Amino acid sequence: MTQARFDELIHPITRLSLVATLAAADWAEFAFLKDRLQLSDSALSKQLTTLEEAGYVTTERRLSGGRRKVRARLTSAGRDAFNGHIAALQAVVADAAAPSEGPPA
Amino acid sequence: MDNIAPEQARAALEAADRARLLVAGEVGLPRGYWWAMAAGWLLMGVLGTVLPPWSAGIATAGFGVGHSVLASRLLDGRRRTDGLRVSAAVAGRRVPLVVIGMLLGLVGVTVLAALALHADGAGHAGIWAAVLVAAVVGFGGPEILRVLRRWARA
Repeated sequence: MTQARFDELIHPITRLSLVATLAAADWAEFAFLKDRLQLSDSALSKQLTTLEEAGYVTTERRLSGGRRKVRARLTSAGRDAFNGHIAALQAVVADAAAPSEGPPA
Repeated sequence: MDNIAPEQARAALEAADRARLLVAGEVGLPRGYWWAMAAGWLLMGVLGTVLPPWSAGIATAGFGVGHSVLASRLLDGRRRTDGLRVSAAVAGRRVPLVVIGMLLGLVGVTVLAALALHADGAGHAGIWAAVLVAAVVGFGGPEILRVLRRWARA
């Protein structure tokens, strides 16, 4: 079972969307991520670098059809962090939805 | 974690879910698969008309084997584009069954169309039925698969 653990690094919405996209895929090309997440080259590069430095993402540069392509994938540490973060967010929502316990008045 | 308001957590979960759905929307087969299938359909229609029944049967079996060999890697629906590979967990395991079911259904449509055209007195009814279904496969294959996946919850 996934342990709920809030992750400050993943939480910003752009980074969360990026990690959630990578969590649903085995890998994704830089161009796909840029297009679907509507980020500029520099913004996406910055996010990927941050995640890569944390050990959450690996990137691989490939030559395909004469063009250099960057492929990103989530590491197992990144996947664990993402699952833990989602579990933590779900816990916050569940706590808020649960009726407050206390002695009857 | 204590500093996160429930609304903020809910918004974050929604953003993560949107991202997951975006990837799930990429499940399908490459466009080239559908055009190759349409061409194969047309070829089978022509062979079924011009060849004797036993040869047409062998050609049909060959087509089936060729499809299972060449397209088996594609049928999981995770390789529609070269932009990403959808994870097995998101793609699910029923996409190949839906594709095969769809193809079998289209075989039935081809046979029915050929019988109807033949009854109407059309010459080369088998070829015309194959042309009809090949056009459906080529132009509408991805959309038909999308609808069938939704029905089958695959």
